This record gives sequence, C-alpha cells and structure tokens, in this order.
Amino acid sequence: MKKRNVPSQERHASVTRHQHAHEKNRCLRILRQLSAYIDDELSSSICQEIRRHLGDCPNCEIFVASLRQTVSLCRYRSIPTLSATDRALMREKILSTI
Amino acid sequence: MSASPTIRRSSALSSVDPPSAQNFDTLYRDHVDLIYRFAHRLCGEPEAAKDLVQETFLNAYRGFDRFRGDARISTWLYTIASRACLRMRRKRKGAPERELSLEEFIPTSDGEFRLQIPIDGLSPEAALQNKQLREALDTAIGQLPKKYKMVLVLRDMEELSAKEVGAIMGLNERAVKSRLHRARLFVRRHLSARGLGEAPSGHNSLG
Repeated sequence: MKKRNVPSQERHASVTRHQHAHEKNRCLRILRQLSAYIDDELSSSICQEIRRHLGDCPNCEIFVASLRQTVSLCRYRSIPTLSATDRALMREKILSTI
Repeated sequence: MSASPTIRRSSALSSVDPPSAQNFDTLYRDHVDLIYRFAHRLCGEPEAAKDLVQETFLNAYRGFDRFRGDARISTWLYTIASRACLRMRRKRKGAPERELSLEEFIPTSDGEFRLQIPIDGLSPEAALQNKQLREALDTAIGQLPKKYKMVLVLRDMEELSAKEVGAIMGLNERAVKSRLHRARLFVRRHLSARGLGEAPSGHNSLG
C-alpha cells in the first residue's frame, strides 16, 4: 500500500519495479493479518514486524486505523429493543403453534 | 455449586423435565431479548427478526430433548437461530453464497485507505449519531454474504469468542478468524470512498 513516484529515468525503472513489488508484497502480508493484529492474537515478534511496517508505511497505518474504527462501529451499533407487547404477542404465537 | 457464570440447563430447567409451557416460559423469558437482538442484527429489520425469533423458540421447544447440558443455553439458542436464519434466507433468495477473497479488499486509490466519514477523536457512540454513517454501516452489514455476516455479528457484536462462534457454526477457529477478517474488510471498504461511491482520486497506490 506504499505510494511511490515512478522515476522518469528509464534506467531506474526495473530497480523501482522490483522495490515496488517487494513493498506491495509486504503490505499484502500485513493486510492478511490485520484482524489478528488488532485482536491481539499474534506473537510479539510478528506484532513488532507489523508495527515497524506501519511506522514506515502511512497508507497501511491509515488502513489499520480505519479497520479498528470499523470494528468499534460494529460493536456499538445499537438496535431497537423488543416492546413488552411484542414479547407477549410472539410468545402467544409460538405457544399456539406448539 | 459452581461459581461459573455459565447458564446451564440445570440452573433454569431440570434435565428430566419434558418440554412444558412452564419451562418454555422460563427459556423464553430469560433469552428472548438476547435472541431478538441477534436476529435483528442478522436480518436488519424488526419483522424478519420477529419471524426468526419465533422460529428459533419453536425449534428449541421441539428439539429440547436434544439439548446437552454441557453447552450454555445461550450458545444452543444461537445455534438454532443461525440454522433457522440460513434456512429462511435460502427459501427467500436461493442465490449461491459468494466467497470473499482478500484481494478484492486491497485499496487501489488514496481515498480507500481511510473511512470516508472521518470519526477520528470521536467515540463510536458519538460517531454513530451521524445518520449517513449509521446507514452506510447497516447497508454494508446487510450486503455481507450471510456466512460472513453471521461470524461478524457473533464475534464483533454479540462478542462471543472465536471458539464459541466455531461451535455455533460448525467451523474450526481458523475458519472463524478467516471469515471474520474478510467480513470486517468488506464493511471497512464499504465505509471508505470506494464503498460510499465517491470518485476515487485517480492515484494507483499499489501498482
């Protein structure tokens, strides 16, 4: 997820492509583990590697923050509660079917 | 007497009792709100949720003698509700379930890395005061293929462990975690620029 400018000089192109592919692979490897990372399920050495990458790759860092925010939004999304009337009506329907 | 908070069948209902209106009432009274909340999160609207609650308690009543007291009653009811939900939705739609691949969640433009509606510095409750965000979140969850949605709802909303979710859905923990990750990425993408239909910035950040 690292954003890089492609140099205009032709002679740098293949080196840059190689570097870019390498970084992209690292970003992908991090992406695969992000839920485990934010759920604190990874070993400390992998966490350290991920933290190092995040410090170095602003886009991945933003991505992790947005994933954490998504999870907390899901967690706190409230839903309407059942009214006493609905509770009683459903109970009657169930008992009449039994 | 165990100090465990686990609700076992013996605490609410005797294992030798046949199903009766009386022990049905105990089961219903103690768990209807929990199952309604779960059903509403799965179905996204009250009427379908009520249908699912009724189906769940009917099946619970009928399958009462198959309940093993070594599981929590709530886990048993979640299992029945999940199965009933799969059946109900299959009847209604019949479309094959889509698999989500990790590759589809890789951002391809700048706007896709962050959430489109910024919530930095806000508590989730405060952020959810924003109607547009709330609706985008509900739409995203509603569009999740159901086997992913169930894992997301059970793990991130009902806050069960991966092991419990595995027991409910008949999956190993690894599969639960894999589905959860894809489900979260799906919702996250929906809340990003790409998901909200904003024009991407045009930069190709990954290649």
